[in-house]
Amino acid sequence: MTFPKLKSNAVAQYPFRRQVSYRTQTVQFTDGTGQRYRDAGGPRLQWSIQLEELDEGELATIEQFFLANQGAYGVFTFIDPSDGQEYEHCSLTSDSQALVSLAELRGSTTLTVIRNHT
Amino acid sequence: MLAYPQLETGAISQFPVKKTRRARTIRNQTADGTTIQLADPAGGATEWQLWYEDLADEEAAALLAFFASAEGTLNSFTFLDPTGNLLAWSEALDNAVWQRDPLLALTGGAADPAGGTRAWQAANGGTGSQGIRQTLAAPGDFQYCMSVYLRAATPTVARLQIGSQTAERYIGGGWNRVTFSASGDAGASSTTFGIAVDGGTTVQIYGPQAEPQNGASAYKTSTTGGVYPDARMGSDSLTITATDVNRHSCKVTIIHVNHL
Repeated sequence: MTFPKLKSNAVAQYPFRRQVSYRTQTVQFTDGTGQRYRDAGGPRLQWSIQLEELDEGELATIEQFFLANQGAYGVFTFIDPSDGQEYEHCSLTSDSQALVSLAELRGSTTLTVIRNHT
Repeated sequence: MLAYPQLETGAISQFPVKKTRRARTIRNQTADGTTIQLADPAGGATEWQLWYEDLADEEAAALLAFFASAEGTLNSFTFLDPTGNLLAWSEALDNAVWQRDPLLALTGGAADPAGGTRAWQAANGGTGSQGIRQTLAAPGDFQYCMSVYLRAATPTVARLQIGSQTAERYIGGGWNRVTFSASGDAGASSTTFGIAVDGGTTVQIYGPQAEPQNGASAYKTSTTGGVYPDARMGSDSLTITATDVNRHSCKVTIIHVNHL
């Protein structure tokens, strides 16, 4: 499964946030020195995608994507819009997806994608 | 059957509408950061928040009468998703939800007007009319709009069906979205939506859609369909504010939970 594209063929709109996180554990010794080590197999990548001014078809495509994934359960391939790199084993972070229709051709929604460690 | 009412315009709701889909995933994160996930389809839920403004006295009264019939959150009712396509599997015409006449051959993968290959070719090998249709648990007293993109190498006509009513629409060589608005059969607890073509003709079909309103909105792909037979009010109270003479406003929350 692949993350859906908008009609413009884009994955995201501005503003678009990409977060890189590490899990570093620190052991502090009594003499003041410390030791640090990695507690995860690699960095955690997370993308927050805020979509506005969507038409009903685009909103429905995102809704179907959420249903097909069963929320945060499913995995899919995500193309990072900032550099075009393809990441496999990505998931939605939330089991809830709000789809707002403010008017005709004015839908909005927010998705957060995370790359899973496998 | 108790069904959430349409307004006098034939629409279920006004803008804005907020729909929230909820799933349930059991997730275990292990010490090294990897995760193990398990889905729980029965835990799925959908919630709609509908905001109404400038309702007429009759519309506000109808909403209040419906709320009294449902007794708040006590009784379930049929809710037609105002933001969705009532038809299920709109891009899989070979799915079991579609009833297909025996002499109609369907082939998928044809070029569609959205630039993909999700259109279907329907060839009627018989001499009489043949079609595909879905019968939904949607009340016959409602107004509906059926729409579909059609084209044919040789110009012909298609018949769109809502309940027992049909309408002929011309099919030319280019993609054209045809629509048909009608009410279902009064008193019926189900409504059939279909497309039929004459014997010996071949047409291409894309994006069949049924909506609980008088006009067609943009095509929305669907798998689950938009009829929710066991929906409930999200609250035991309904507040309707009279803002002027013959003008009322209110907010309604409706929920549908898979396991209820």
